[in-house]
Amino acid sequence: MNIIKGSARVLGDEVNTDVQCSSKYLPGRDTAYIATVAFDQVAPGFAKGFKKGDVIVAGKNFGINSSREQAVHIMHQMGVAAIVAPSFGRQFFRNAINNGLAVIECDTSGIAAGDAIEIDPVAGKVMVASRNIARAVPPLPAAVQALLAAGGLIPFLQKHPDWNLNVKEQTA
Amino acid sequence: MGHTIAEKILGSHAGGKPAKAGEIVVADVDFSMIHDARAGNALKMIDKLGAGRADFALPHVKRTALVLDHYSPPPNMEAANTHVAMRAFSEKHGSPLYDVGDGICHQVLPEGGHLTCGDLVVGTDTHSTTYGAFNAFGTGVEGTDVSALMMTGKLWFRVPETIRIELQGALQPGVWAKDVTLTMLGKLGAEGANYQALEYVGSGVSAMAIDDRMTLSNHAAELGAKAALLEADEKTFAWLKAHGAATPRPVTADADAIYARRIVIDTAKLPPQVARQHLIDDVVGVPEVKNQKIQVALIGTCTNGRLDDIRQAAAILKGRKLAKGVRMIVTPASRAIYLAAMREGLFEILTTAGASVEAAGCGTCVNITGHYIAGDNQVVISSANRNFKGRLGNPKSEIWIGSAATVAASALTGMITDARTVAGGDWRAAA
Ligand code: SF4
Repeated sequence: MNIIKGSARVLGDEVNTDVQCSSKYLPGRDTAYIATVAFDQVAPGFAKGFKKGDVIVAGKNFGINSSREQAVHIMHQMGVAAIVAPSFGRQFFRNAINNGLAVIECDTSGIAAGDAIEIDPVAGKVMVASRNIARAVPPLPAAVQALLAAGGLIPFLQKHPDWNLNVKEQTA
Repeated sequence: MGHTIAEKILGSHAGGKPAKAGEIVVADVDFSMIHDARAGNALKMIDKLGAGRADFALPHVKRTALVLDHYSPPPNMEAANTHVAMRAFSEKHGSPLYDVGDGICHQVLPEGGHLTCGDLVVGTDTHSTTYGAFNAFGTGVEGTDVSALMMTGKLWFRVPETIRIELQGALQPGVWAKDVTLTMLGKLGAEGANYQALEYVGSGVSAMAIDDRMTLSNHAAELGAKAALLEADEKTFAWLKAHGAATPRPVTADADAIYARRIVIDTAKLPPQVARQHLIDDVVGVPEVKNQKIQVALIGTCTNGRLDDIRQAAAILKGRKLAKGVRMIVTPASRAIYLAAMREGLFEILTTAGASVEAAGCGTCVNITGHYIAGDNQVVISSANRNFKGRLGNPKSEIWIGSAATVAASALTGMITDARTVAGGDWRAAA
C-alpha cells in the first residue's frame, strides 16, 4: 500500500455515521446528495469544504453505533483518502475495510484542520511534520492490506474467489 | 496457554486450531441472515459481485435466511418493493424466507433450528450477538459480507479479546437479564466492550431460562460487543432439540484462557435497573427513581419481546387496569411467541387491562413503521435496547429502558415502579 498524504479535516468524538453520513434518517435521499451535507450537524460546512484526497481526523469511537456501509460509499464520493481516529465503532471499521477505505487507529490529539498529514499504513506511522508529530501505530495486518489494496472485499473476491489473503497485491 | 470460546469457535472454522485474539482469520460461516432494512444494500452488493461474470454462482445461498421484520408492515412503497425483491430472491435461490408477521430475525433464526452450539453465525444487524445464548459465535456484518458468504461460504474476522463476566447467584423474582446488562452498561459505558467478546458464566447464568439468556446475549450489542457467548447446558440442548437444530458441538473456555478483563456481578442481590432518557448507559436502580411519571409503556423487540417477558407482564396486570392516561403496546418477537401467548390466555389479560397487542416484528423498537410515534414531552418506558433522542420519532420525547417487569409495573402505577413492590411482580420463569 502507498503512503497516504492529505489535508486534515477534523471531527469530534463519538460521531455516528448512520446519523451523520447515511440516508437512515433521510429516507429516499441518494448517496450523491448526502455527500454534500454529510457531518453538517456536527461540523457545519464540513462536506462543502471537503476536497478529494483530504483525510478525516476524528476523535474516539468514530462510526459508533453505525451499521450501514452506505456511510463508506458516501465518504468515497466525498473523496476521503483515509480516516484516522483513536478508535472506531466495530461495524464501521469492518465496513470501511470491506469497501476499501483505509482506517487507522491512532491518537489524533494536537492535529488541527488543514494540517498536512502523512500516513504509512504498512510501516505503521502517522506524521504531521509542521507540528513535529510522528506517531507509531500497529501496522495494518497483511489481510487488511490485501483487502484495501484490492479496493475492498468485492473486487478482492473477483480476483481471488479462493480467499487467498496472503497474496501480494499491486498497490493501486 | 488456553483459549476462550470465541478463539475456539473462530479457530475451528478457520482450519482447526484455536485462533488467537488479534489475529485475522478467514472462517467458514455456518449460517447467515439479511433483514429487510439492509436487504436493498445486500442485493446490490450481490449484483456487484456477479457483474460481468458468466460463471457467477451462489452455492451457499441456502444458508442465508431473509427476514422481513423491520418494515413490518412496510411503511412506504420503497420498503414494500424491497419485500417484493426479497421474496423473489428467496423463490429463485431457495434461501429460507420469514415474511411479515413471522417475527424478528434474532428470534426466528434460533426458533427455525438454523443454529446450534459451536456454530459461527452472522447477520446484517448488530444484535446478531443473540446467537451467543446458544453457545454459537454470532456477530453483525453488512451486505457486502453476506454477498461474499453466498458466493464463498467464508468471511474474514478479527479474533476478539474476551471479557469474562461472572454472575454470582440466581436473580430475584422480578429481576431479569435486562437488569444485568443495564448494570454492565452503567459499569463499562455504551460501547465499553467495543471489538471485544463477552463470556457470561456462573450460577446466575445457569439459573436463567433460555428466554432470559437470549436477552443477555442480545443486549450485549449496546456494550459494543462483537459476540456474547454463554456455555451450553441441558437447558440449551433441550431447547435446541425442541426447535429442530443440528447436533450441538458445545464449546467451553479453557481454565487458563487469557481474558482482557474479569468482572463479577452479585446478581443474587441485584435490584431492577433503568436507563434514563437518551443515554443507554445512564443507569440507576429502579428503587432510586422517585415520582417519575410515564405515559407510554412498550414491551417487545429482539431484546425483550419473548414469552417470559409477556408472561411477566400478564402476571402484573392480571385482573387490573393500566393507570389512567397510560398507553401500553405489547409486540411479541415472533409468530411462535404470539401463538403461545395467545394459547396461554396472556393477551386476554393484557387487553382487558387496557394494553394493545401488535403482530410480531420489530414494532415499537424504532420509529420505522409508525407503530408508535411519541408526542412532545411524552415519557416512554420501553423494554427495547436503545433510547437515543428521537428513536421513537420525536426528539422532544423521553425514552427510559427497563425490563418487561419494570415496564408492566410502571404501566400499572403510571410511575417508574419496582416490579417487586406489586403483586405478580415477583413472577419467576420456570427455568
Ligand atoms: S427489534 Fe429493534 S433492535 Fe431488534 S432487530 Fe428489530 S429494530 Fe433492531
